[in-house]
Amino acid sequence: MNATDPVLAGLAGLAPTDTPDLTDRLFDAWLTADSLLGPVRVASTRDGISFLRTTAEFSEDDFRAAYRRRVGRPLRPTDAVPDGLEAALHGEATAAPRLDLLGLTDFQRDVLAATRTIPAGETRPYAWVAAEVGRPRAVRAAGTVLATNPVPLLIPCHRVVPSATGAGAGIGRYIFGVSAKQRLLAAEGAAIATAPAPEEGPAR
Amino acid sequence: MSTPTVDEALPASRADPDAERVAAALAADLDDGFAELVRTYQGLVFAVALRTTGHRADAEDLAAEALLRAYRSLADHRATDQGASWLRGLAVRPWLLTIVVNTRRNQVRDAARRPRTDGATLPEEPVPGPSVEERAEHAETTGQLASLLARLPETQRTAVVLRHVTDLPLAEVAEVLGCPVGTAKSHVSRGLARLRTLITDPSGETP
Repeated sequence: MNATDPVLAGLAGLAPTDTPDLTDRLFDAWLTADSLLGPVRVASTRDGISFLRTTAEFSEDDFRAAYRRRVGRPLRPTDAVPDGLEAALHGEATAAPRLDLLGLTDFQRDVLAATRTIPAGETRPYAWVAAEVGRPRAVRAAGTVLATNPVPLLIPCHRVVPSATGAGAGIGRYIFGVSAKQRLLAAEGAAIATAPAPEEGPAR
Repeated sequence: MSTPTVDEALPASRADPDAERVAAALAADLDDGFAELVRTYQGLVFAVALRTTGHRADAEDLAAEALLRAYRSLADHRATDQGASWLRGLAVRPWLLTIVVNTRRNQVRDAARRPRTDGATLPEEPVPGPSVEERAEHAETTGQLASLLARLPETQRTAVVLRHVTDLPLAEVAEVLGCPVGTAKSHVSRGLARLRTLITDPSGETP
């Protein structure tokens, strides 16, 4: 019988009895927090904030499905608020919570990094962002990256606007809508064009 | 060299008792269901990972990577029209272990293509015995039998680990190896025979 065979008994004894719990390693966490744009859902990995969307635009199911598509990792709720998150969501310029932006190309990463350097109260044209990442002709592509910003508010894509060429230029599009962009820029005291052009794409 | 008897058929009691519950949880909510899947199978996944890598840290990495691949596969299937029926028919345990075995195979293949420079090692097949340092470093997880096991050819090692370390029914061993039950049985038998030879004469059976 197998039970009396020392080799088989030895093999059975090789099954580890102290399995680590991999749950913390596998699951990212999400919570709801308040922001200048109202409540937002925020997802974090162990290394930083990875995704943010308003509850107005994304139901819980939409949020989780979007995260699954973009990042491919499971989510579970948490009560632990990442350091600096609440301050950043309320516009404190010095708050810089740790981010962990997953599944991005180098270009996307560069565009978001350049955008993060724009100070509150100021704006930059899409063309500035493109030039900043060494791809001055990729203005439209830079705009597309910002339109899918994983962490709006924390990376201030609302501070990127069309090149200022007259009142008709407007403030450009925003992931949560033009009026939200106007509210944010006004709250930060940025000088913005008064005549919005809601359907305009990134400046050329 | 006598070959031990191996169960031929799969008695109902040996079938995966958790599959139905986990599949139902996955169908209800992918993330909650995945948490249930991890709770249920991580011990098994880790055991297979540990005995195929031989190192605890590597085993954790492999187990986590395989489980994330499983999650992405579940998410992809869920997004299709046939997702629900696929999930109902899913034999969770062998499916998961197939991912572990394939993930490991990919890791070894990738490591062979670009040799790591950080000093870490991925045992190739066939694996030489551990160095003195490794022996000391991993003494707690790698007894003599484990290091001899690591010297088996990959398929035989996998077959022996699945059948005799994690006590998987032969039918599921065959499913994981992607071969008929008879072939799986022969991989197990040959692996055991080789192991017995190595035990008798560890210096023999040159890699």
